[in-house]
Amino acid sequence: MSNIDRRTLVKGSLAAMMAGAAFSRAAFAQSSEPILLGVSGPLTGPNAQYGTQWKQGFDLALDEIQAAGGINGRKLAYSFEDSQSDPRQSVAIAQKFVSDPRIVMELGDFSSPASMAASPIYQRGGLVQFGFTNSHPDFTKGGDFMWSTSVSQADEQPLLAAYAVKRLGLKKLAVLHLNTDWGRTSRDYFVKAAKEHGAEIAVTEGYIAEERDFRSTLVRVRDANPDGLILISYYSDGALIARQARQVGLKQVICAASSVYSPKFLELGGEAVEDVHVGTRYFPEDPRPEVQTFIAGFKKKYSGLEPDAFNAYAYDAMNMAAAVVRIGGADRRAVRDAFTKVKDVSSVIFGKATFDVESRRVKGAMNAELVVRKGQFALWDGKPT
Amino acid sequence: MSSWLDYTINGLIVGNVYALVAVGLALIFGVSRLINFAQGSIYLVGAYIGWVAVVQLHTPLPLTIIVVAVAAALVGLIIERFGLRPLQNSVRIAPLLATIGISFVLDQLVMLTFSPNPRALPSQLPDVRFQIGGGTIGPLDLLIAGVGITSALLLFVFLRYSKLGWAIRATAQDRDAAMQMGVDVNRVNQAVFGIAAALGGVSGLLVGMYYNQIDTAMSLQATLKGVVAEVVGGAGNVPGAVIGSLLLGLVESYGVAVFGTSYRNLFAFLLLVVVLVLRPNGLFASARQAPPEPLTGTFIAPSRPVRIPRWALLVATGIFAVLPLLPVSFYVLQTLINAWLLGMLALSLTLVAGTIGQVSLGHAALLAIGAYTSALLSLTFSVPVGLAIIGGGLMSAALGTALISPSFRLRGHYVSIATLAIGEIVSLVILNWESVTRGPIGISGIPPLSLAGYELVSPISIYWFSFIVMVVLALLQGRLLGSHLGRSFRAIRDDDIAARAYGLSLNRYKSLAFIFGGFAAGVSGGIAAHLYSYINHETFNTQQSILALTVVILGGLGNVVGAIVGAVALVGLPEVFRIAAEYRILIYGIVLLLLVRFRPQGLLGTM
Repeated sequence: MSNIDRRTLVKGSLAAMMAGAAFSRAAFAQSSEPILLGVSGPLTGPNAQYGTQWKQGFDLALDEIQAAGGINGRKLAYSFEDSQSDPRQSVAIAQKFVSDPRIVMELGDFSSPASMAASPIYQRGGLVQFGFTNSHPDFTKGGDFMWSTSVSQADEQPLLAAYAVKRLGLKKLAVLHLNTDWGRTSRDYFVKAAKEHGAEIAVTEGYIAEERDFRSTLVRVRDANPDGLILISYYSDGALIARQARQVGLKQVICAASSVYSPKFLELGGEAVEDVHVGTRYFPEDPRPEVQTFIAGFKKKYSGLEPDAFNAYAYDAMNMAAAVVRIGGADRRAVRDAFTKVKDVSSVIFGKATFDVESRRVKGAMNAELVVRKGQFALWDGKPT
Repeated sequence: MSSWLDYTINGLIVGNVYALVAVGLALIFGVSRLINFAQGSIYLVGAYIGWVAVVQLHTPLPLTIIVVAVAAALVGLIIERFGLRPLQNSVRIAPLLATIGISFVLDQLVMLTFSPNPRALPSQLPDVRFQIGGGTIGPLDLLIAGVGITSALLLFVFLRYSKLGWAIRATAQDRDAAMQMGVDVNRVNQAVFGIAAALGGVSGLLVGMYYNQIDTAMSLQATLKGVVAEVVGGAGNVPGAVIGSLLLGLVESYGVAVFGTSYRNLFAFLLLVVVLVLRPNGLFASARQAPPEPLTGTFIAPSRPVRIPRWALLVATGIFAVLPLLPVSFYVLQTLINAWLLGMLALSLTLVAGTIGQVSLGHAALLAIGAYTSALLSLTFSVPVGLAIIGGGLMSAALGTALISPSFRLRGHYVSIATLAIGEIVSLVILNWESVTRGPIGISGIPPLSLAGYELVSPISIYWFSFIVMVVLALLQGRLLGSHLGRSFRAIRDDDIAARAYGLSLNRYKSLAFIFGGFAAGVSGGIAAHLYSYINHETFNTQQSILALTVVILGGLGNVVGAIVGAVALVGLPEVFRIAAEYRILIYGIVLLLLVRFRPQGLLGTM
């Protein structure tokens, strides 16, 4: 950093000394105080629902971690700062976490603008930013302190394309996608994979997140005459599209991305989502022990509530954070290095999760092909709908 | 060709849905000359009360509607009595800010009570579908159309033939004269808010049932579309609002048909701008109708600004300048960096809105133009960051002024609505013009701030950089206000007819104000882009425009120091309330309401 002026340097070293002093105080109290993770995410504002779901997943994972003796005898805890998924607030939170010596790593944020605006601060401050819902292809390119367990769309979308084209035998597809960085990236990977499998893409339509009326879009879809609809949607808009598609009389097979996988999709979609196919990363009857522990624990803790995809991401993220901190301890740089060492962490989404050090992401998400039958997600039995 | 029939039907169906909100807005605007930003929140409250009634209490539909209407009307009465009536003798813009504060509070209360998760609101009508064209419609479509049209007709008849209706119209035309004629203006206002709120609540219920989905984010969208529809039909014109809504639905549907789904809202807002420019009183205003805004500028009432001695300003500037040398955390510095960036935006808006009286609700668009220009200049053409930021400012000044210039002949609220639409249009163009802006993927890897080859990456250097830029802009603006140019701006704001009679060219001065303001906002956006390293079409959204306006009104319209004080307050307060977690935006809303209540002219007063 030859480019900092002298005053800054003086001040910087002063700050470092103060931080050091604070740090050694923290070190004295080490045995009793919990290891603290910072979480930056939306608790209010338009994305508040996702922050709430994160909390549910985190708290469940923490219960299990604490019950198993914590991290080398110390408790693990998190401090959740509400960013409203607003970049102005996420950068302030980033400085707050970076200058708080108790924080050993950070999780979040939710949206790409909020997360990636904070990345330079985490990178320069030497604090890991662990973005577990950040599928933007450039997120981990922000620096070697950016790590992500978000399922890469380069991995997920070919699985969905294989389900739709090879297994369900759809040949001419209409793709409806959320017009965000996630939806757009997903669409491109899906279209590429579907074409490789020999399907034709009849029409693609991007819609904004606040959209509620899809009737005119569906007329466009109908006129393109596809034999299947692909939804790259979240559960609330996915349910709206499915309902309106059935209302305007479209009877084609609907196949949706894993992000609709939520009991809310069934509740909001009602009868219209019957027979909708969903490619997911896990399913309720999945015999894998980590899935069964997760689902049983979740239902027990939240009085019978079924967990959804975002709960699972958060649960996995907290378990991954625990595994990393077990290796790296409370030192920030050691925590960063621990991401390269951690191996085969038990995960609902990946089965066993190990980071690819090059891309700082996890490859090889699990795959389950589900269909909605009698108002429940069930493993697809191979029968046409 | 059968598809066109389907597009037409779909447009009418969705227009139907917009009409429910637009009618309520039109009613309130007709009487109080107020865009009620809380109408969407009442709609939200109605939807959730309906959910409780339907899902928890299993009430039959007619009873549900009555329960929702009564409860929503009560909310409306409370808003009128405690939120707006105390403001009736203060600046005309204070109630506007109050409705924004009320909408924060109501949205947050609903979110805290019901959690932000979306909920299903099952329709209680039989599930039969009628085939029309290639699609079908259900009984709920007919019910919504019935409620929309019936309420518009009833209101029309009520306003025209009943005694209270006359009183309402008399109050709308001339409040003081109506009072002299013995009209109880408060009772009229109460009646209007009660009726509009009942309508708003019922529309939330019906729309929730229509989509089988309610969530706490639905309020802002409802307000936006309702405002567009209302203004297209002629603000304050109730039957016009219904026709405006249907027209809006049709334009959106045909837009989707021709250009695709992602262009939908672009057409909605283009329609609004075109209507405003060609027929500022709406499509259905009669030629002899009195203009809905007063001719002279009572929109922004002058007040005595608080005199701050020069030495105090110097001391404050000095303290903030040496702050990084004191032991303050980087978090505090970063928060203040945000405040300085918002301060630049507020300087821009306070000039445009306060000094020359063009209240803009789309100011975030100027940030976005500056940010994208600066980011693309430095990334694609390797322009040094310092120059790129200036380029962003210039582009914002040029493009912003060009975009707004067709609306120069508008007044009062209509300027706000036109700028709101232009703001949305800019954001949608950014989303769709992929070859330049990279669409939803956004621009990543924007180089960090640098000056003459030195990278400014530490919070301290960024702090000084943004602070100095803001102070320079503030000093320039102070000079401007003291010059004859500043006096001309204020003359136009206070009485544009007198100003014109005196020989001032309105358009030229408005352009000058927007050029200067656009530059400041563009520079702020440019710095933000290099600070964030990643931007996309959501980075600078409508909420930021509303925040900027709140800052400006809070600080005192046209007041340079006030804009900066307001920015520090509104960036600082939510951070201070962090300790309250989920409750912090609620507290923020309440504090905002109290400030408007007790300092409607702003903390430092209008200049």
